[in-house]
Amino acid sequence: MKIVVCVKQVPEISNVRINRETGTLIREGVASILNPFCEYALDLAVHLKKESPGTEVIAVSMGPPQTRSALMRCLELGADRAILASDRKFAGADTWATGKTLAAVIKAAVPDFNLILVGKQAIDGDTAQVGPEIAEFMGLPQVMYGVTAEFGKTRKRIRVRREVESGYEVVEMRLPGVVSASKGRLIRRLPSLKAIIDARSKPLKTLTAVDLDIDDSHLGLKGSLTQVVRIFPPQSRADGRKLEGLDPEGARKAILAFLQAQHYVEGGQPSC
Amino acid sequence: MYEIMTEFIQPADIGQVHCIKGFEEIQRRFPVYLSDESKLSGAHADYLFFPADEAELAAVLVEMKRLKAPVTFSAARTGISGGCVPPRGAVVSLERFDRILSLRHEPSAGEWRILAQCNVLLRDLNRQAMDKHFPELERRHSSADAAALAAYREDTRTYFYPPDPTEMSASIGGTVATNASGARTYRYGPTRNWVRRIRVMLASGEVLDIPRGRYFASPTGDVTVQDAGKNQIVLRIPDYPAPRTKSTSGLYAAPNMDLIDLFIGSEGILGVVTTVEVALLEKHDKLSVVQFLQSDTQALDFVEALRKDARVRPDFIEFYGPGALDLLRKRQADDPKAVGMPPLPGPGTTAVFFEVSFDPDAEDPGVGVLETIAARCGASSEDSWAGYEMRELDRFKHFRHVLPETVNGIIAQRKRHIPELHKLGTDLAVPDDRLRDMWAVYRDTLDGDGLEWVAFGHIGNNHLHVNILPRDLHELEKGIAAYDRLAAQAVAFGGVVSAEHGIGKIKSRLLSLMYSDAQINQMRSVKAALDPGMMINPGDVLAE
Amino acid sequence: MLSVNKDICNSCGLCEKTCPFGAITVADACAVPNENCTLCGACVNVCPVGALSIARKRPSPEKMAEYAGVLVWGECEKLPGDRLAPKKVVYELLSQARCLADKLGETVTVIVLGDDRLVGVKTLGAHGADRVLRCRHPLLDRYTIDGFANVICSAIAGEKPSVFLLGATPNGRELAPRIAARMDLGLTADCTQLDIDDQRQMVQTRPAFGGNIMASIISPYTRPQMATVRPNVFPAAEFGSVSKAFRVDDMAVTLSKAAIRTKIVEEMPLCEASVNIEAAQVIVAAGRGCQNKENLGLIQALAKALGGVMAGSRAIVEMDWIPHTLQVGQSGTTVSPQLYIAVGISGAIQHVVGMSTAKTIVAINCDPEAPIFKVVDLGIVGDALQILPGLTQAIRDAAVKAAKP
Repeated sequence: MKIVVCVKQVPEISNVRINRETGTLIREGVASILNPFCEYALDLAVHLKKESPGTEVIAVSMGPPQTRSALMRCLELGADRAILASDRKFAGADTWATGKTLAAVIKAAVPDFNLILVGKQAIDGDTAQVGPEIAEFMGLPQVMYGVTAEFGKTRKRIRVRREVESGYEVVEMRLPGVVSASKGRLIRRLPSLKAIIDARSKPLKTLTAVDLDIDDSHLGLKGSLTQVVRIFPPQSRADGRKLEGLDPEGARKAILAFLQAQHYVEGGQPSC
Repeated sequence: MYEIMTEFIQPADIGQVHCIKGFEEIQRRFPVYLSDESKLSGAHADYLFFPADEAELAAVLVEMKRLKAPVTFSAARTGISGGCVPPRGAVVSLERFDRILSLRHEPSAGEWRILAQCNVLLRDLNRQAMDKHFPELERRHSSADAAALAAYREDTRTYFYPPDPTEMSASIGGTVATNASGARTYRYGPTRNWVRRIRVMLASGEVLDIPRGRYFASPTGDVTVQDAGKNQIVLRIPDYPAPRTKSTSGLYAAPNMDLIDLFIGSEGILGVVTTVEVALLEKHDKLSVVQFLQSDTQALDFVEALRKDARVRPDFIEFYGPGALDLLRKRQADDPKAVGMPPLPGPGTTAVFFEVSFDPDAEDPGVGVLETIAARCGASSEDSWAGYEMRELDRFKHFRHVLPETVNGIIAQRKRHIPELHKLGTDLAVPDDRLRDMWAVYRDTLDGDGLEWVAFGHIGNNHLHVNILPRDLHELEKGIAAYDRLAAQAVAFGGVVSAEHGIGKIKSRLLSLMYSDAQINQMRSVKAALDPGMMINPGDVLAE
Repeated sequence: MLSVNKDICNSCGLCEKTCPFGAITVADACAVPNENCTLCGACVNVCPVGALSIARKRPSPEKMAEYAGVLVWGECEKLPGDRLAPKKVVYELLSQARCLADKLGETVTVIVLGDDRLVGVKTLGAHGADRVLRCRHPLLDRYTIDGFANVICSAIAGEKPSVFLLGATPNGRELAPRIAARMDLGLTADCTQLDIDDQRQMVQTRPAFGGNIMASIISPYTRPQMATVRPNVFPAAEFGSVSKAFRVDDMAVTLSKAAIRTKIVEEMPLCEASVNIEAAQVIVAAGRGCQNKENLGLIQALAKALGGVMAGSRAIVEMDWIPHTLQVGQSGTTVSPQLYIAVGISGAIQHVVGMSTAKTIVAINCDPEAPIFKVVDLGIVGDALQILPGLTQAIRDAAVKAAKP
């Protein structure tokens, strides 16, 4: 059994700040991390591997050379090997070009895969588009928003418990196919010292554009079907009031008065 | 060299110093100034001052001397020995001394140094040093500051301030007064090792400006202080031997010592530090490891192996005893997010927590030796947690603080039923060769008494915090008696009664376990020379 | 591509300062772009000497002319009485679709998939639709990714619309990229604004970097231009009269069982899921600051007293205090109630993006530096667990008092 996990390295979004004067991102002090939803996908892969001995987990990512550290993290957390697709030609890709490239990488590096796992969305783009696009480019069925999964007895199918608007449903899909992971462990795993040491001797291969069966015109900025034409800071809300130093009674009074004034609660002062 | 002159500070007009008068008023509106983290009760103060600068501070000291009201200094109040809890007289808050004054590079030592007023908080100083972002200096627009800042930012290395007491909201002045230590003291030494200059105001209101390396005790053990009135005050440096372990037990003394070290760790009884210059150290990427072991013996083997192996230079080596992990496991069951780590392994395990330099991008980061060391002790590096990303290191740091928090939570719950209960925490350290013996003493004494206890802490410095959690008043009594026996045993092994918490008001009796009356009188003489009126920090270190 | 005119460039460095991606630097007295460039044009706008320019490919006018009309996916939901009807988000899309179509001088078509239980199709005409394309087939009795993708793709191939809009619902967010990949189309997710520029292109604006920044995007090379829009971002189209030209066309559907490659084996609806936070006008949301699951009773009580519903942040969903159906935020649901009260929520950007369009925002948090306070109308620094019980009672009392004659 071969499980491919497609992962992305993202900036730690909660620490990203905007310089309001210039509208630019403040990049200092923002660490690069493995996208949390991708970590959920990797956890799911490792779980499936435990349940099915003889399974190989391969982490794959497209990005600049520093993406290596995110793949190293995957190796530390249980992936057996990793593949980095890195080439100047990939830069500036939108989700369409990214999906095309990753599909080509998987076809080239793990042609006999059984399952592709992805994270639900990347926390820097939040589009959730790459997973379904990979599935479509490779002609595979998909099950999105997975929470847990189990292989069938013959390992020809997978059963995925997924989130839907009304709660949950369990969906069965024939393999090969694509599953996205929506929820992970409450407490993130920690690799052991042995895992960290061993990770550094696991295979981490780099592929460039020439290693892939894909037209240059489909790569990077040139291959993108969408184009950013403008970047600007979001509108900030008109200044509200922040009250400090109130005791609970005072706080209650302040909130009640506010809600009454806004007519969410009866009894406010008449507005005329 | 062996003589220093004070600096006269023209006192401000006492009328302009912000003051709250009357104990009732202070107790009602400003109760925080009457306590610290020791929760010592019985505080009293008739005056609460908020001096804005050295001139106002001098005015307060002069005025209180006139009124014969002694003064207790108060800054961040994170101490746990009652050092800033006023017994009577005035309490002086140094909270307005909160500015970072300068950043400079000292070429002779190849160091970056920060000059800060005493109430700059440790975490703010460290944050600004690491982020290379100093709002105060940037606000002031001086060209010297701007030049230093630019050079600091051009320097691509990252810097930090090594002393790392658990309570990072402590004031820098407080850490100097108590010679504070943390986990990293194992490799980098206590606060003392990082202080390059202090300004200390004496009880008279005059200031001694002491850079390290300029003033020393004479061969006969004297330092002479000449004050503004041309009086010569002779300080006789005590001649007891310096402790063999990290220590905050009484005045530091050593032959030919640097005068600055007399004041560092003196807990405010000789004068109050208003300004301090500290040095920074280059920061390297680290790997944090929690190694699980099957027994306390195995843990001790592992610690000694880590210490001895020249290929490994840990920043710190910390310990969790079986009782400590039991407590954390229970807490995890109730609230996994509070502990924030994967499930802890089963009962009977201990853990050794350490950090080493680590380059995540290196092909061979050179930590394989840790696997060998573990194997030699019969442990496996598979039974461990490790991490190096900033967010993982933060997780590990948080984990180190959960145990003391959990202990405090349990005590708080027990106090609800029996209000007189409180935890007993030891702060004893012994030399390296007595670590195993001291551990055996802890076990035999506390298990022998049937008490509930946990042990954790700076095992690298043979300095464990042993917390006794009494379940009733009888156990509390037994615990207190046991505590004194343990302290006496540590001293007998060549150790100290207070390794990092300081003596303050609550451990003076322990000082007598460590020093003879004659030696304690030597400390009293130094205090008497600098504070003849017994005006400052009464009751601290030396019992009244 | 971005080109720099070396003769004009005066290496003032303004472009370097302005670039949000660090993609252009001044070296050897000239600006030099690097591989991080996304052609966003920020530097072009700011260059004082006009040394920068971006050559953008324009689609051929012939190709553009082939595609006309605004198509909207009329996503349906099951209603009591075993009926299928368009969801509220469809009406929100309709209001925008109408605007866009009017600017382009084109028509609005809603494509609806289902079986014989489909109702509410004519109502779409009263909300701005010119036409409904109805696709009915037994295999479309419920949503499946394969079934719906197949049918919609064949409809697009036949219809050739210039714009195709879908709601960014869970289904929409997995269906849209599937269609975009199959038909090689540019797709922009979670748009908060849609406009037509002077080249008759749809400009799609959406939050990026977790919501820290807004990006305006076009799909210049492909038709239809696809975009998804979250529920509660646009107001619903108003009820009006049905135009005389309105008609419902039934499209023939060929679909085989083999085409649908996934099978639902078990359904586990949650009763809490019957609470629709998307539609709620008053929401009281709980965060990790509420300390534990038991305290959520306080939040529920306050919500009830205000006639609203309880929701929560991703942090408490991860801890299983509430199901994912009640999650507000970038990886959950976007809400736009009249009143949103955040209790013990720090206000990380991923949460704020999911509720920032609420009319009135109140927050209670014990951390004065919590980012939530940047987006509130009223912020209280304090312990919610102490404030809430009394507050709920006071609100109940006010209601009782007002009810007295």
